[in-house]
Amino acid sequence: MPTIVAGVDVGSVATKVVLLDVGFEKGCASSFNIKSFSVKQSGAAFLKAAEDALAEALDLAGLMFKDVRYTISTGYGRQIVPFADKQVTEISCHARGAKHLFPDVHTIIDIGGQDSKTIRVDSQGGVSNFIMNDKCAAGTGRFLEVMARALGVKLQELGTLSFQSKNDIEVSSMCTVFAESEVISYLSKGFDKSDVAAAIHNAIARRVAGMVGQLGLVERVAMTGGVAKNPGVVRSLEMKLGTTLLLPEEPQIMGALGAALIAAGQISPDGISSAVGGSKA
Amino acid sequence: MEIMHKLASHLKTRLVELNRAKQQGRKIVGYTPGGYLPEELILASGAIPICLIRGGDHSVVELTGAYLCRWIDTFCRAQIGYAVSGDDPYYSIVDLLAIPITDNHIRAISDITDHSTDIEVFPFGVPHMKEESTFSYYLHGITRLKAKLEALTGTEITKPKLREAISLCNRERELFREISLMRKSGPVPISSRDFVALNHASFLADKEVMVEILESLYKELKGRIALPDGHPRILLTGSTLAMGDSRVLDLIDEAGGEVVIEEFAEGIRPYWENVNPDGDLMKALAECYFMQRVPPAWFRPGNERRDFLIKLAKDFNVDGVIWYQLMYRESYKTESYYFPDKLKRDTGLRMLTVESDYDPSEMGPLRTRIETFIETIRGKRHG
Repeated sequence: MPTIVAGVDVGSVATKVVLLDVGFEKGCASSFNIKSFSVKQSGAAFLKAAEDALAEALDLAGLMFKDVRYTISTGYGRQIVPFADKQVTEISCHARGAKHLFPDVHTIIDIGGQDSKTIRVDSQGGVSNFIMNDKCAAGTGRFLEVMARALGVKLQELGTLSFQSKNDIEVSSMCTVFAESEVISYLSKGFDKSDVAAAIHNAIARRVAGMVGQLGLVERVAMTGGVAKNPGVVRSLEMKLGTTLLLPEEPQIMGALGAALIAAGQISPDGISSAVGGSKA
Repeated sequence: MEIMHKLASHLKTRLVELNRAKQQGRKIVGYTPGGYLPEELILASGAIPICLIRGGDHSVVELTGAYLCRWIDTFCRAQIGYAVSGDDPYYSIVDLLAIPITDNHIRAISDITDHSTDIEVFPFGVPHMKEESTFSYYLHGITRLKAKLEALTGTEITKPKLREAISLCNRERELFREISLMRKSGPVPISSRDFVALNHASFLADKEVMVEILESLYKELKGRIALPDGHPRILLTGSTLAMGDSRVLDLIDEAGGEVVIEEFAEGIRPYWENVNPDGDLMKALAECYFMQRVPPAWFRPGNERRDFLIKLAKDFNVDGVIWYQLMYRESYKTESYYFPDKLKRDTGLRMLTVESDYDPSEMGPLRTRIETFIETIRGKRHG
C-alpha cells in the first residue's frame, strides 16, 4: 500500500491539488513521486473547487479519499479546506516546491492570479525573505486576463503573439484600468496587437524587476505560478533581469507540490509524527 | 483576569462620568497621542485629560475624502473623520484639544479640526532634534499650554499641585515599566493584547483608578507562574497602534507568535523614564517628555530610536521583528527599507514589514505575510 499525502492550493483564480506517493528509508521520507495532479477554476465557491480538484486527482491516481494520510492546504483560501490536517502559507509552499525541483534555486518569482511575490530561499529550502505585492491587480494573472480581452485574443495566445512584435512601444500605467485604456488607444492608433502584447509583458517585467531588486537578485531564479505559462512574460523578465529563469513543467502546481512535500514531512511510515509548528489553538 | 474586567467596566461608564464632571464645571482636555503632552499639566489644572487614540475603522477614514487629500497617515485621517463626523463621543466632549505637532500628519488633524469643527484647538510645535535651543522651544510650547490651561480652568497650576500630578503619573509609568519588564525572557505572564489594552485604557481612564488597577495587576502578575511556551517572541514596532486596531496583534496570535514588547510613536504610552519631582518642574517635564523620550522615525538623526529597537530586541530575547506602519506615514515607510539591514547585522534577526490603511480587504494578504513570517522563524529554529 503506497503512502499518499496531498497538497491543496486554493488560489484566487485556480485551485490545484497534488497527490504524492512517499517512500521511506529508515523511517524518513526519502522519495517523492507525483501520483497525479489537477487544476480547477476556483470560481466563487472555493470549497467546491477544492473538493472537485481533489476528487479529480484521486480519480486519476485510482485512489480513494481514505488513502490520503495527510493533507496540507495552502493559498489564499487555505482556511476553508475542512479536510486539511494543517495550513501552511503559499510562500513557504512555493519555496519548498521550487527547491525540490531546482536544488540550486535561491530566488523565486511567483506570479499568480491576484498577487505577485518574490521569495528568497536558503540552502535548506526555507524562506529567508519575501516581498508580496497585493495592492492591486497590476502585474498579475488578472491583469493579463483583462489585457487579453482588450486585445481580443485568448489568454493562452498572448505570450506567443508578442514574439511577432516589430515596434517598441510602452504601456506606462500599471493600474489595470488605466493600462486597459492605454491598450485601446494604441490599437485605435493602428499599432499591431503583437506590439501591444509585448508592451504589456514589458510592463509586468519592469514591475517584478523592481521587487526582485528590493530583495537582491541571487542566482538561480525560478518562476512559478500560472503567469509562468506565458512565454512573453518569461522572455521580458529574463531580459530585464539578465538571467535565464528556471521553469517548472507545471508552474501552476508548485504551491500544491510544496504543500504535499511539507505534508510528507509530517508523517512516518507507521503514523503521524510530531507536527512542527501550528497555531496556538 | 478579574482586573481587566474591572478596567473594562470603568471604561464603560467613563463617558457618563465625564459628562457628569463636565456638568459640574470640570474641563475636559483632549490631546493627540505621541507621548509629547505632559498630562501632569492638565491634571494639575483640575481638568481631566483624555487622549484620542481610537482607530482601525476604515469607514471613518473614508469620510475624510471631502476634507483632505488621501496621502495623510491613516490614523490621522481617522482622527479627522471622528472629529468632523462626531462619531467618537470623546471628540464631542472635549473643551480643548491640545495637539503637540510632531509632523505634518498630526498637523493635519490640528488644521482641519480647527477649520471644520467647533472644537477649540491648541497646537504647539515639537522639534525634531535634541539640543539646547530645541529644548527651550519645547519648554516654551508647554509653558504656553500651562497658561492656556490656567485660563481655561481658572485655576493656577501651583508647584505642589504639579508635583502631586507628577508623582501620580510617575507611578503609572513605573508600573507599566515593571509589568512590561516581566516579559524580558522566559514565560510571559501577560499577553501583548492585555498589555496594549491597559495602555489604551490609561489614555481614557481616571488616573487614580488606573494606577490602582495597575498596582493590583502588578501584584497579581508577580505571584503568577506563567506556563512555559515555545512561541516565537516578537518585537512589534511601528507608527501607530490605535485602540480598536487589533488586527495585527490578533493575526500574530493566531499564527502562534507572542508579542513580548511594543514600540510605537503613537498608541503605547512612553514608560521608560520618569519626571524628576525636584527643582524646576516645567524644565523637568520638558526633560522627560522631550529630551528623554525615545524619538519617533521623523527625528533626526534617527539612530537613537533605531539603536533603541536593537536594544529592545536583544533585551527581550525576541526571535523576530514585525514592523507595522500605516499608509502614507513616509518617515516610517522610508526607515522600513533600510532598518532590516541594521537589524540583521546587529542581531541576526529578520523583520517583516506590514502596512495598513485600515481596509478590511487587506486581511487575507496580511494574514499570509504574518503566518509566513512565523513559519519562517519556526523553520529556522527547527533548522
